[in-house]
Amino acid sequence: MQPTKLNLMMNLKIKLATIFTLFCVIAIFAQEKYVLSGTVMSAVDKMPIPGANIIILKTTRGTSTDFDGNYQLDVVKGDVLQFSYIGYVTQTIIVDSQKTVNISLVESDNSLSEVVVIGYGTQKKSHTTGAISKVVNDDLGQIAVSRVDDALVGQVSGVNIQATDGEAGAAPTITIRGVGSMAGDSTPLIVVDGVIVDSDFLGSLNMNDVESFEILKDAASASIYGSKGSNGIIMITMKSGIEGKTRISYNTYTGFKEARKSDAYGYTTKEWAEQQMEENGELSIYTQAQLQTGTDRSWQDVFFDGGAITSHSLSFRGGNKSTKYTASLNYSNDEGVLLNDNYSKYGARLKVDNKINDKFSIGVNFTPSYTVRDRFAESIHNVARHQPWLPIYHDEYTLQMVDPSFGLQVGDYARQDHFTIFDFNGDGVFDEELQNLGNSTNQNPYARASERSRMDKKFKLFGSVNGKYKITDGLNFTTTISGSIQDTKRTDYLGTLARRISTEAYMVETNQKEQYYIFDNFLNYNKVFGKHEIGVTLGNSIETRDYFFSTIKGIGFENDVVQQISGATSIIADETFGFEWQKRGISYISRLTYAYDDKYLMSLSLRRDGSSIFGSDYKYGNFSAASLGWNIHKEKFLEDSDFVSLLKLRASYGVTGNDRLNTGSVNPDAQGSTSVLSSDNVLQDYYPHLSLLDLTTYVVDGTITTGYSPLNLANPELKWERLIEINPGIDFGFLNNKITGSIDWYQRTSDQLLLNNPVSATTGFNSALVNLGEVKNQGFEFEIRTRNINKEKFSWQSTLIATTNENTLVNFADSNGQITSIDPSRPAEWINQEGQPISSFYGYVVESEVPVEYRDRPYRHVGAEFGWVKVKDLNGDGVLDADDKTILGNPYPELIWSFSNDFKIGNLDFSVMFQGSHGAEVRNIGDHYLFSHNNNRTLNDAAAEAGYGNEFLVDKYLTNSIIQDASYIALRNVNIGYSFPEDLTSKLKISKLRIYASGQNLMYKTADGYTGWNPEALDKTSPTQYGYQRGGSPIYRTISLGLDLDF
Amino acid sequence: MKYRTYIAILLIGVLVTSCSDFLEPEPSSALTSNNYYTTSAELESALIGAYDAIQGVGDFDKDENHGVQYEFYITEMRSGNTATKIADPDDFSDAGQFESFNVLPINGLVGNYYDSYYEVIYRANVVLDNLGNVSDDTSSIEAEAKFIRAYAYFNLVRLFGDLPYVDHVLSPLEKEAQFTRVDTSIIYDLIVSDLITAEAGLDNTYKTRASKAAAQGLLAKVYLTLENPEYAKAQIMCEKIINDGSFGLVDFNDVFYQELNQEIIFAVGFNSLNDSQTFSSQFMNSVGPSSGVNYATYDLVDDLNEFGGIRAQYSFRQDPNHLTSVRYQCAKYFPDGDDGGTTNPHTFDISPNPRLAGNDWIVLRYADVLLMHVEAIMAGANETNVGAALTSFQQVRDRAGLTDAVTEISLDDLLLERRVELAFENHRLFDLIRLGRAESTLSAYSVANGFGFTASDLLLPIPQNEVNLSDGLMTQNPGY
Repeated sequence: MQPTKLNLMMNLKIKLATIFTLFCVIAIFAQEKYVLSGTVMSAVDKMPIPGANIIILKTTRGTSTDFDGNYQLDVVKGDVLQFSYIGYVTQTIIVDSQKTVNISLVESDNSLSEVVVIGYGTQKKSHTTGAISKVVNDDLGQIAVSRVDDALVGQVSGVNIQATDGEAGAAPTITIRGVGSMAGDSTPLIVVDGVIVDSDFLGSLNMNDVESFEILKDAASASIYGSKGSNGIIMITMKSGIEGKTRISYNTYTGFKEARKSDAYGYTTKEWAEQQMEENGELSIYTQAQLQTGTDRSWQDVFFDGGAITSHSLSFRGGNKSTKYTASLNYSNDEGVLLNDNYSKYGARLKVDNKINDKFSIGVNFTPSYTVRDRFAESIHNVARHQPWLPIYHDEYTLQMVDPSFGLQVGDYARQDHFTIFDFNGDGVFDEELQNLGNSTNQNPYARASERSRMDKKFKLFGSVNGKYKITDGLNFTTTISGSIQDTKRTDYLGTLARRISTEAYMVETNQKEQYYIFDNFLNYNKVFGKHEIGVTLGNSIETRDYFFSTIKGIGFENDVVQQISGATSIIADETFGFEWQKRGISYISRLTYAYDDKYLMSLSLRRDGSSIFGSDYKYGNFSAASLGWNIHKEKFLEDSDFVSLLKLRASYGVTGNDRLNTGSVNPDAQGSTSVLSSDNVLQDYYPHLSLLDLTTYVVDGTITTGYSPLNLANPELKWERLIEINPGIDFGFLNNKITGSIDWYQRTSDQLLLNNPVSATTGFNSALVNLGEVKNQGFEFEIRTRNINKEKFSWQSTLIATTNENTLVNFADSNGQITSIDPSRPAEWINQEGQPISSFYGYVVESEVPVEYRDRPYRHVGAEFGWVKVKDLNGDGVLDADDKTILGNPYPELIWSFSNDFKIGNLDFSVMFQGSHGAEVRNIGDHYLFSHNNNRTLNDAAAEAGYGNEFLVDKYLTNSIIQDASYIALRNVNIGYSFPEDLTSKLKISKLRIYASGQNLMYKTADGYTGWNPEALDKTSPTQYGYQRGGSPIYRTISLGLDLDF
Repeated sequence: MKYRTYIAILLIGVLVTSCSDFLEPEPSSALTSNNYYTTSAELESALIGAYDAIQGVGDFDKDENHGVQYEFYITEMRSGNTATKIADPDDFSDAGQFESFNVLPINGLVGNYYDSYYEVIYRANVVLDNLGNVSDDTSSIEAEAKFIRAYAYFNLVRLFGDLPYVDHVLSPLEKEAQFTRVDTSIIYDLIVSDLITAEAGLDNTYKTRASKAAAQGLLAKVYLTLENPEYAKAQIMCEKIINDGSFGLVDFNDVFYQELNQEIIFAVGFNSLNDSQTFSSQFMNSVGPSSGVNYATYDLVDDLNEFGGIRAQYSFRQDPNHLTSVRYQCAKYFPDGDDGGTTNPHTFDISPNPRLAGNDWIVLRYADVLLMHVEAIMAGANETNVGAALTSFQQVRDRAGLTDAVTEISLDDLLLERRVELAFENHRLFDLIRLGRAESTLSAYSVANGFGFTASDLLLPIPQNEVNLSDGLMTQNPGY
């Protein structure tokens, strides 16, 4: 029915009349004002609470307590007074002509009122039965990092966020409760406001838009995401609009970054000369020549040139009763500490929620971003290993040392093998020995890095539209369509001066697109019946992912003017191709939560997932979970305890799954990785149940001819990888929650692992994807938070977080004891052996270094170490063979921890976090390059005369010589801030103004014997060959200044 | 009420979408074998795939099958013809085990060849298993697939002895067939029958694909190799090629550097830009990842110098980059950028890349057929003076500049002629075994060099990986 104008008029009149009547009623009951006074104090220690707020509800009047906790307020009988103070439970009283009201406020039990996001719904924290950690974004925005995941280091137990790649914008490696899968990746699922996104989105979110993080760690909690939950889940809640006047926030910081250099790799020719004088009493002719070049600095001083980071973010939040919105814009630029690496990010966000009527509401969320990553073009080890005496460019002086036949000019890049002309004995003949002064014939390392350009440009968008309908009280229906789109263009231009030979110039351009849509329909029912509280979730989810990849390679660049494919004179057909692939899924989700009297808690869930990855009979997997909780502190015998304020026992059992395969697909975002995807691997990973055909070529009488051959051994019986986890835990709070915390023990067993397993060659293949094997991770998680001092002018809180994890390969079937290597030229080995962690370093054990007097020309290369080492004959049979190899260590940390302290002194705030990791080792092949091992592997005649032979001499990379302790202790974050007092800011019409200084990694201590730049750095390798560090980009410290401004 | 209707419709919609097609997306960028192999063109493309398996992958990745590119390790380097650059009885690297006859079952190169040639057999079987899907005449396709299968089995059976008998595509569950070794005679029955089919169904269109002549030549060699050799049949096969007239001898150096010449009967094709092989660079000093393999032994060099005629200068050269001692490299397959020059030290042109090479691998050439012809006529005797044999023998020697008239050929003459003619071409080991001289020759060579040859070294070990996977089904060869 269309409302007529008359109707509207009538409505308005009735409303006005009603309001008028109400005023009259109030006036009738109005009585005389009088002054009420009293004291507000803490219920526990009876200390006065200064600054507590008292307001008269439904009015704008109120006051706050003075320094002694006293207050005075004009009231009338019947007024409702509300007493509140941060950290305490709010109390209300009704004025009944008392003259004095003294109030004792009870410290609030945060866990009672706090709500956590649990996937497709929320739950009171006091009712949760799984292992869920929540990080509220109070001040994470002040940590000067360009990715939100980098700011989470040390915030939560059970989560290992490792800076495996220190390049600007590079993703850290996140593992929750250890690595459990062989073929799949171990990155947790990322859910932003209910939208499942690729983990890469962590690089494009703006921390100032984030409200909180919830980390679902145990399988019972993650099981609601079924097949996606096996690596744990990071749920990110973004800030929503708020009712009231629009609030404008502006946050900015700017800072400087400085790389942590390695002392061991920082040798100079001068230091080398001093060392020789000490050891030998004279300088080798090589060193004498090397001292002549006029240049002497470590290459790390050139490549680790420091950087700067800047961030601006502007947000608007506001709304009224029916519509709330938030909109924000952000920009950040992170110039990494390496030469030429840079990451810039442009983002925006809009979220609108509208309540159409009492029953129906809709919401829209839209988050686009654009990032540009200018990557360091080379692997660090490859450029930093050059000799310190090598200048970048030739000048008049250095050209005197160069054979004129090279035809070099001032300003040309200098190569080590250019330096050939030295005459030290003054006989007028150039010393032949000195014609090979360097350890490399490669192009100048500066040219390698700066004449090549690698850019990743990504446009990303995620958004959702949802509608919510309230069917009856407690029963809601929600439908959501969400999607994410990624469009990535990567270019790799290797310029004509980047290599010795200009004809090596090439350009590779790849394009990758991904579209991901999810359609969710859910019924939620929540109801309290007396002491029974019931929650039911039923739903269905459908998803499709479509991918596209293409690559083109051009060669024949005559100069570097046109750094585009169009500048190429020919296209390499072999390396120019494109392909697309899809993945689809259907899920049915159900969950029942039940609480009796807030004491006895239970949660049951069942999810059934179907995936296109598997063959028709194995598409579906069921993932169930059950968990129980008992709030003991609610029981009579503890209710009145002064000591125990919270005590909850929890136990959970859950099953999650995994359908992500990895038969060798590369991660194009990883350092040193190619940006080209292999269609063979990708297609095998997405269609493993089908027998695929691959294009092959053969030369038929001189002509390249294409054919097709089977690509894989189809496995139509492949099924879900399964993870079963048990997790008993305890949450506690003592002394009115001055001390709170939790302890969890978990055991995660992954089995039916999706594994590329060897098969008989008579099948035509060497391996096939099968479900096999078992991996176990178990450990403790410990979090304790204390409020040591809580005064108005001074407060101090501490948080200690610790996690242990032990990884064991329980069953590896046919592959048990498998020994593999990564680099055929430096075949350091890994073993995958049952009873040990998934991957262990394998090789010989060092017996002794080769004495310097037996080394051929030990002082030939600056900073050189001998490349061979004498190893132990472990089985004592006098022969060096495979039986003398043993397990040398493993790359998994046993303990990670953090310890934070937060202080507030008046308007000053100060926080400091130490963080550390212990027990992991790395195979630092960086030593091999940086210490010129490859160039120093010859014994001299003295060795032969002394009978010192080659027996039991092997390359150091085959031994524990380069296995190093990767433990560290870092001063991760230090922040000091000052909030301008309210009386000042209110004059400026500002609601908040805070300035701060922040530092990251101001101290970073590595273990003895670690020589590299970053003990956290790791090459991207398969889970069975983990822990390989080839140089790796350095850890850096950041010092920044920031400003938070709210209107 | 209206909303509830919408919700009901939505829920019904949701349930309807959950039909199974949704979860079965067809890969749009790959073919699947479910809907392939239905036309003769598609079967032909599968044949190309089988040749691709013989060709192998042109890199050094140990996880890839390298096909014929690794064959020299397990044949020529076990024959006394070649060794690593610095041969050492204590060299237990994969490549160093062959010259000293210390081959271990875990040797990766042996495993790679076994894997590669069973992959060839598998790809041939894919074609043969799908012949029934095609309505056109498939007899030439069948003939070609059977030639490929026979070629692979013939190499495997000579190297490993008893083998798993795989005449169809095996599922991973058919453990019995994967790991049960059958007697060599059963394998030879399959080879002979496959080659007879091949000979009947093929013509002489191609040189790097199967041809009638290739089937005839291979069959001749199979007949000579059988436990009870069929000399008469072998002679007929050789004479079919000789009388065909399409094949003949060319300038000796051109055999290797003028591809697809008249002498080539069957070769594996390569192309330096897009389908490069690696053996050419491996034969050089530190151009491939090894520091020199398949170097000529002094024994071979002596024979070439003394009996090879002009073949000596085209077969080997002194390594110009190895300055501390005199070592000889194979000169028949120089990679890109090597002009065969002997500048000292020898520098490769920077570009083209000396790791690339497009030299075809010659499996069967006319000179081999002529010498097999002699062998067939000799028919197990110790010498022959039959005219036809002398004619064939003389042709080979004339081309080498050794024009003195031969009046009688002994078995040892024949063996020596084959050695100097076919050096580095992976024939020597099989020749020694076939002509009954393997034990005496290799024992003498072994004693002279301090190596440990015993009769059981004539067969390679079954790769340890297969034995491990077989759960006890697979037996190992004696001596390993």
